[in-house]
Amino acid sequence: MEEKIEQLKAQAVEAIQKAAGSLSELDDIRVKFLGKKGEFTSILRGMGTLAKEDRPKVGKIVNEAKAQIEALIQQKNEELKARDLEKILSTERIDVTLPGRTVPLGHLHPLTLTLERIKDIFFRMSFSVEEGPEIEKDYYNFEALNLPKDHPARDMQDSFYITEDILMRSQTSPVQARTMEKNEPNAPIRMIAPGRVYRRDEYDATHSPMFTQVEGLVIDEGISFADLKGTLELFLHQIFNADVGVRFRPSFFPFTEPSAEVDISCVMCQGKGCRVCKGTGWLEILGSGMVHPHVLEMSGYDPQKVSGFAFGMGVERIAMLAYGIDDLRLFYDNDMRFLQQF
Amino acid sequence: MQVSIKWLKDYIDFDWSAEELADQFTMAGIPVENVICADEGLDQVVTGRIEEITAHPDSDHLQICQMNVGEKERIQIITGARNVREGQVVPVAMVGAHLPSGLHIKKGKLRGLASNGMLCSASELHLDLTKLTEEEKDGIYILPADTPVGIPASDVLGLGDVVLEFEITANRADCFSVFGLVREIAVLTGNKPKWPMIGCKEDAGRKAADMMSVGIAANDLCSRFSVRIACDVKIGSSPDWMQQRLEGAGIRAINNVVDITNFVMIELGQPMHAYDYEKIAGHSLTARLAKEGENLHTLDGSEHLAKGTELVIADAKHPAGLAGVMGGLETEVTERTTTVVFEAACFNGASIRRTSRVCGLHSEASGRFERGVDVTQTKRALDRACQLLQEMGACTVAEGYVDVYPEPKDPVTIDFTAEEINRRLGTQIEGSEMADTLTRLGFAVEKRLNGTCRATVPSWRSDCTCMEDLSEEVARIHGFDKIASTTPFGRMVQGKQGAKQNLVTRIKHTLAALGMTEELSFAFTSKALFDKLLVPQDSPFRKAIPILNPLTDEAPLVRTCLLTSIMENAVRNFSRKNHDICLFDIAPVFLPEALPVTELPDERLMLAGLWTGRRNEIAWNHDNGMVDFYDMKGIVEELFRAIGIQKYTVEAGEHFALHPGKTAFFKKGREVLATVGELHPKAAENFGIKQRVYLFEMCIDVLMKYTGRRFQFDSLPKYPAITRDLALLVDVDIAASDIERVIAKNGGKYFKEATLFDVYMGKQVADGKKSMAFSLKFQSKDRTLTDEEADTAFQNILNAVRKYFQAELRA
Repeated sequence: MEEKIEQLKAQAVEAIQKAAGSLSELDDIRVKFLGKKGEFTSILRGMGTLAKEDRPKVGKIVNEAKAQIEALIQQKNEELKARDLEKILSTERIDVTLPGRTVPLGHLHPLTLTLERIKDIFFRMSFSVEEGPEIEKDYYNFEALNLPKDHPARDMQDSFYITEDILMRSQTSPVQARTMEKNEPNAPIRMIAPGRVYRRDEYDATHSPMFTQVEGLVIDEGISFADLKGTLELFLHQIFNADVGVRFRPSFFPFTEPSAEVDISCVMCQGKGCRVCKGTGWLEILGSGMVHPHVLEMSGYDPQKVSGFAFGMGVERIAMLAYGIDDLRLFYDNDMRFLQQF
Repeated sequence: MQVSIKWLKDYIDFDWSAEELADQFTMAGIPVENVICADEGLDQVVTGRIEEITAHPDSDHLQICQMNVGEKERIQIITGARNVREGQVVPVAMVGAHLPSGLHIKKGKLRGLASNGMLCSASELHLDLTKLTEEEKDGIYILPADTPVGIPASDVLGLGDVVLEFEITANRADCFSVFGLVREIAVLTGNKPKWPMIGCKEDAGRKAADMMSVGIAANDLCSRFSVRIACDVKIGSSPDWMQQRLEGAGIRAINNVVDITNFVMIELGQPMHAYDYEKIAGHSLTARLAKEGENLHTLDGSEHLAKGTELVIADAKHPAGLAGVMGGLETEVTERTTTVVFEAACFNGASIRRTSRVCGLHSEASGRFERGVDVTQTKRALDRACQLLQEMGACTVAEGYVDVYPEPKDPVTIDFTAEEINRRLGTQIEGSEMADTLTRLGFAVEKRLNGTCRATVPSWRSDCTCMEDLSEEVARIHGFDKIASTTPFGRMVQGKQGAKQNLVTRIKHTLAALGMTEELSFAFTSKALFDKLLVPQDSPFRKAIPILNPLTDEAPLVRTCLLTSIMENAVRNFSRKNHDICLFDIAPVFLPEALPVTELPDERLMLAGLWTGRRNEIAWNHDNGMVDFYDMKGIVEELFRAIGIQKYTVEAGEHFALHPGKTAFFKKGREVLATVGELHPKAAENFGIKQRVYLFEMCIDVLMKYTGRRFQFDSLPKYPAITRDLALLVDVDIAASDIERVIAKNGGKYFKEATLFDVYMGKQVADGKKSMAFSLKFQSKDRTLTDEEADTAFQNILNAVRKYFQAELRA
């Protein structure tokens, strides 16, 4: 009996060693020797014919043999799996340099991207966004801003008129007057008003009949020109970079007094002088000033109690400098090859 | 306004270079746009005499010149010019010169012979060709024969001067004059101006008042009218120094009288006019409104029919000039003139501006009147004019003025305190510094008993009317750069934008994430675009607002529809060979209540989208199919999901610009939220488009009504779902949404959702039929469903679709 078991075991071991082909072959061996109807099982089943005293001994031998075979099969199984994996890994090769299968993103317009940056900076300084109509009353566009009729700064050539008293707004400044009017008199204001504005300019590399402005207005008790400087410097250092030079130049706007043009050191040549800054090293970037008392009065604010500053900037100009764009028409031609770069 | 440094230096000393002066002016609020150096590039151009000319042996048009340029050795220069002769003195560009044209002069050889320099023509020297004769323009510029040799050519050519070109702001009318600019330099440098003594000797024998009369018939348009009369006038040319100064100011010399009027205008800022006394009918001049239909002949030779709103200066019979804009031809000073009437007046700026616009005439004078001139200095200007003419020995001056000044202007005073100016500026400038600055600017400052100060505004600073104006004067002279920056102090508030702006931001970002690209379009449109887009004649979209003064006739209207804009951009892209276009635009359209408009129009914020071409970029591993209706519809569905619009219905719709069979409305009840469809083939043809274009359009204000509700999540199911596939055969014209609605209604309480996963028409099914396959999902929140429960629900659904759509179950 023991001999038969030894023999069987040897057969099994040999079969396992030979079973180099596949995992299924190995499985067949397991069934043949260890399965329910397998060789060892039938030996165990036939134990009844053995002498009672032999049974434990034979049983032990069979079980040991089974365990050994089981272990061998397990070991072989691991080997074969490893071999198969190796085979898979060595044959499954792709050209990883082929382009990926993309889900292309769309693109926001560069002016939208620029405007979002501008808005973010002002949000962080607790400014809110206000809006106004693009077709506007002459009163809000000009008169409420201390620009009476026949003022040289409001030539018919400059604005698109709808009627004598209605025009396509030529600046976002009317939102100033509208916001003050809407408020309780003398209520503090910190606002920006981004939007489209219209001027009767020929369409060329630096002019467009429609463009985008951001107007700003701060009104409170004790607001000073020094506050205007500090606020705009904070803004410009964020939208450009922290070491950009900023200078304030006296200027004239009917709705502010004092008025200041704000220049930054040329971002193209770092102030050395180039074609973009016309050799001056400076770029005009903002108009600003302390709100004129007439403007406050006309919108129901009391210049004795509150003061404020206002500013305005062209979004196109900032975007052109930020992205190095040299022709304003690119923004409004909407060529896909341009838009898809942003 | 432009003026030469020489003219400024006539009246004040300063050590700044032209660039430094320009910078000082700019930083004081008087922007200098350009510094023009006439001699730029001429630093190595000298005078030289042609000592000898020989013909070039190898050329029949070149000549060899031996030049004396003031050095020991002659230099040899070969020239192709024909007008050179021995003994002439000419400008010579030496080796190393870098001419204004950009030409760099190097040692060279011409046909084998050395040429060490170049003889220059007028244009190579950038001389003003308009002032030269044909002879002088042609060939080498020949200098007077007695010109010394070897000196800088710019000295001989009068090009040593530097001109500043100002861009003076509308408030600083006073700086439209040499005196005004000199005053500013005086304040900036602290140097004292050297004002000229102004005055003339009068001829006691003749009284101006006896010779003529002057009147103002329109007090609101003319505040002062003054004249002086110069007799025994000898018309001739003005002296070189005056011509040079005028030239620096960009004004051409004409004759002594005209030059003087221009000179005084630039010097004092007071526009002047000169009449031929003998030609003034009735020897009277009146400032009055033109009579409608009156003919106005101006000096430029043009004629204008008066509308009746123009201010004119008229003699007893006719208008003798457009007041403040341009003089009249009839009373012009000519060579035969012997008695001259100098006029210095003060006209209403707004009226001058209207008149000059109506007549299309802009002059140095009208520009100054528009901004405002100093009403107090008419007599001074007349004195100056007569003085200058007298100094030329060209006249005697009749005694006195004829001066009409009905309402003499009182000086303006402004009360202020140093404290309020400091509060406005955020500074701690001493009161004494402020007083000093203002005094130097010409203000008279006095301390008052109540502690305030009173500033009397000089007559030339009519722009200053309030404390705020004084604060600017103080700040700009103190220096904006010296004001320390602070930031506003105040309550902390939330920086935010409104719900609508937030929605717009959300939509833009969602559409970009879905692969669409944002465009920005002009708000203009045209009838031609409406026609192309098939907008019906009676459509309210046709009621677009016309612009009174459009930029071009091609875009005379304000848009009522965003689709016209996005179509224009698509067409532009097609023309540039971009055929795969996926754009969206968010912009207002303008819908008037009625035309012509009396009120502001309704501005409706719209969203439009356009997609055409390939679905994906061409790639080895993508389907390269073309976009279809369902791609576009999918964008809208996904957008609605992103902005929280739910439970809408979709049905076939109608839109004039869209294909009648491929148009869908997204609706909430009866309200259309979005329209999606294919561009009408006829419209595509009109736009010259040969591929299918898909569009959507929606109104942001409508979306606003259904978005923004707080989003709440569904808890995850604890028990598994059971799915059953339902493949149906139905008539082709049955809408998927109808079947889905019936399924949902009859699915019982455990029905979760039906997903349409296949639609088939073709060989495998009968004509007029289509197969639709749904995956139905059943699920309970409380327990695992049994197969029987799912089967029952499935059967109910099947019965319902059989009943409503005569659907057959497909094997």
